[in-house]
Amino acid sequence: MKRRTFLLGTGATVTAAVVGAPVAIAQPKPDELVWADGLPGSLDPHALSDVPMQGYLINVYDTLYVNRDNPPKLEPWLASGHTISDDGLIVMFKLREGIKFHDGSPLTAEDVVWSFHRLLNMKKGAASAFLAVLNPDNVTAPDPTTVVFKLKRPYAPFVSATPLVAIVNRRVIEPNIKDNDWGQAWLASNSAGSGSYILDPSTYQPVQQIDMKRNPDHFMGWGHNKSPIEIVRRRDILETTTRVNALIKGDVDCTDSYLPPDQVERVLASKGATVSKDQSMRVMVLRMNNRKPPFDNLNFRRALSHAFNYRGFIDDVLKGYAVRNAGPIPVNLWGSPQDLPPYAFNLEAAKEFLAKAKAEGAPVDREIEIHIQQHLAQTTQAAQILQQALRKIGVNLRIVPNLWPQLVSSTAKVETTPDMWVHWVSSYFIDPENWIGQMYDSQFHGTWKASSWYKNDKVDSLLREARGLDDQSKRQALYEEASRIVVSDAADIWIYNAIELRGLSNRLHGFRFTPIGSGADFRVMSLTS
Amino acid sequence: MIRFVLQRLLLAIPALFGLLVLTFIMLRVLPNDPSAALAGENATPAQIAAVRNAYGFDEPLWKQFIIYVEQVGRGDFGNSIISNRPVVSDIAWRLPATIELTFVALLFAACVGIPLGTLAAVWHNSLFDHVMRIVTVAGLAVASFWFAIMLQMTFSMELDWLPLRGRFPVGLSPPLQITGLYLLDSLLTLRFDLFGQAFAHILMPALTLSLGGLASIARFTRAGVLETMQKDFVHYAEAAGYARRRIIWVYVLRNSVVGATTQIGLLFGALISSAVAVESIFDWPGVGSYAVSAILTSDYKAVLAVTLVVGLIYSIVNIAIDVVHAWLDPRVAENL
Repeated sequence: MKRRTFLLGTGATVTAAVVGAPVAIAQPKPDELVWADGLPGSLDPHALSDVPMQGYLINVYDTLYVNRDNPPKLEPWLASGHTISDDGLIVMFKLREGIKFHDGSPLTAEDVVWSFHRLLNMKKGAASAFLAVLNPDNVTAPDPTTVVFKLKRPYAPFVSATPLVAIVNRRVIEPNIKDNDWGQAWLASNSAGSGSYILDPSTYQPVQQIDMKRNPDHFMGWGHNKSPIEIVRRRDILETTTRVNALIKGDVDCTDSYLPPDQVERVLASKGATVSKDQSMRVMVLRMNNRKPPFDNLNFRRALSHAFNYRGFIDDVLKGYAVRNAGPIPVNLWGSPQDLPPYAFNLEAAKEFLAKAKAEGAPVDREIEIHIQQHLAQTTQAAQILQQALRKIGVNLRIVPNLWPQLVSSTAKVETTPDMWVHWVSSYFIDPENWIGQMYDSQFHGTWKASSWYKNDKVDSLLREARGLDDQSKRQALYEEASRIVVSDAADIWIYNAIELRGLSNRLHGFRFTPIGSGADFRVMSLTS
Repeated sequence: MIRFVLQRLLLAIPALFGLLVLTFIMLRVLPNDPSAALAGENATPAQIAAVRNAYGFDEPLWKQFIIYVEQVGRGDFGNSIISNRPVVSDIAWRLPATIELTFVALLFAACVGIPLGTLAAVWHNSLFDHVMRIVTVAGLAVASFWFAIMLQMTFSMELDWLPLRGRFPVGLSPPLQITGLYLLDSLLTLRFDLFGQAFAHILMPALTLSLGGLASIARFTRAGVLETMQKDFVHYAEAAGYARRRIIWVYVLRNSVVGATTQIGLLFGALISSAVAVESIFDWPGVGSYAVSAILTSDYKAVLAVTLVVGLIYSIVNIAIDVVHAWLDPRVAENL
């Protein structure tokens, strides 16, 4: 065949294919939900514990208790209830009967024990919520429906933290264990759950796509939902603009829940989608390293607390989609004092505190650094707003781009912890312990949550007492008192409690927001054509 | 020729090793430790140290490097620290997507850039030439993310002619995998319907990616054609009465595109790098978006593997370009 003939033939074939092929733009299928939100890095629910993992865990796995609605209520799920001994050391859960894993095998107390053993031995993800109070050997199953936890010391948030722990099917995992890895390599791409949806491992691609189908045999049944969604296709679209365009066009049924305000306006102006606005439990905080001069000076920290334009940030940058939060506990959670006045933006007051700090010998003239998370625009915006105000009172603030893994590593020591850094404290479990308890009790120094290196004996004592009590009203009083002290000490700069903004297609119904998992609970949702 | 190709392949080995050393140093000497993030919420320093120990991050760097080089020598790039899956399998799924996108972009850039450059040279200092100059400068200057969003807003959001994102419709099975290149696989399996879908999905990302390359190739071709047109053999061909069209498009062009082909080789590497942004905007499941996720999570084994694989492809493409060079210019072949 001559070259010219070959080229002509190839060209003709391609042209015929392009012109002749029906290039119809794909339309969403009526019983398939396309959920475009962040995906977990791995599918092993014991290896990771972050917001995307929660969105996966609550659908493919079941837990002893679950959080429902907003503000969230802790409800028995696999467990029918629990009891706590008078000394607070023995927590006993009673399981429901007739629960089955996806492979049809029964879920018993032995599976709960094995799941906790796996978590505590792997020492990753949610393990850190339990390692301080629980030895693996102290989780036992006296009978198929009873699980007993013997704690090292009373720990009131224990039950609140159980929604972090997926109960896994040991019979599926054990044959896939290699080199004593607890089946981590296998479970990273497969599932071993009993949840409302079943993973399709054949189409899974890390941080790209997860497909799931409905589990018709889920132990809770489907009576609550007349038209449940049969297929869920989770996709991660990196670019916000593309994600929003895809929603407006009808390619996907949701966006992530952190839409920028300008994109909120675009979605609201569209015909086929809307925005769910839900006050969450996610506090934005500018951390201050309380042990590094000049941050070891109370007046300097108060000066900085008065130098942030809170209203400007919330009203102008966030277009009002946030709620001012005076202290470390979200304002919509018990333990947050409702009458606690927040710091106000007041440069005159800031100047006065700065002068006092200088008079006390604080090195207020040195350049200070604030580390931002460079892929999260809001952290940069917050730092720039502070930088602008500080310049007016003569404080030089340098903005340093950084990434989450490096930042959390750096907080292991006082010397390596930045002067300041910006992050959010999300709701991993719903208890003030998740915020003030782990942020300001000095026993947690060296963890990223306690990276202010704040130390106040009175606060330590209040938080430790609250942790050991079972009575919520008594705990509330202790957390409120601790909050007042921490705020008075200006340990950090607390800015707002988030309003989560998630774009949703109009064909999606039943979306129920809960801070844990950000409302990605597919078993309550349905689709209309 | 075979000896030449083997020589070039052997030369690529130290270059790739150098790339490995540099990337390893950049990733591991700079503060870059995923242990704390892996250890989970509120992990204590002791718990973080346990994770660091489990992954071998507490070993001396030289030891970590030797272990890694041994692994790579066996073709084992290790497991992703975050996904706990073999990095090779993650990349193998994504690499064809990036290669397909880059190849189509390059093909488009060459098929449009070379004729445009030639015409600009033939009609130099004409209105067409001036317009071309402006267009090529704009092509080099325009930000790819802006151009991508403009394309999306026009052809997908407004006109609804093309799909907005992705490589294939969600829920539709891609063609039977032979090469992993959807366009080629759908043709090989005679699934023209799937070819149409794959083609529609690749059009906008490939066009965006090709923009800078197209401008560059057009400028190189123009310069090459202008220079060649002054050569004696062209005057001889004109005097001998050859048709001007034949002189330009056969003799002049063949002698002029040597520079442009070198440029194409260099462009391939540049386009793979640029693919990071294009893949993000068009949600194209290639190694670029994988690299972004890996960098954000300090998944250094994934980053190293991507860097090495891209380096390897770059080396192979450049060897291929040398071979094409020899084909276009027999004088080069004689020296091989």
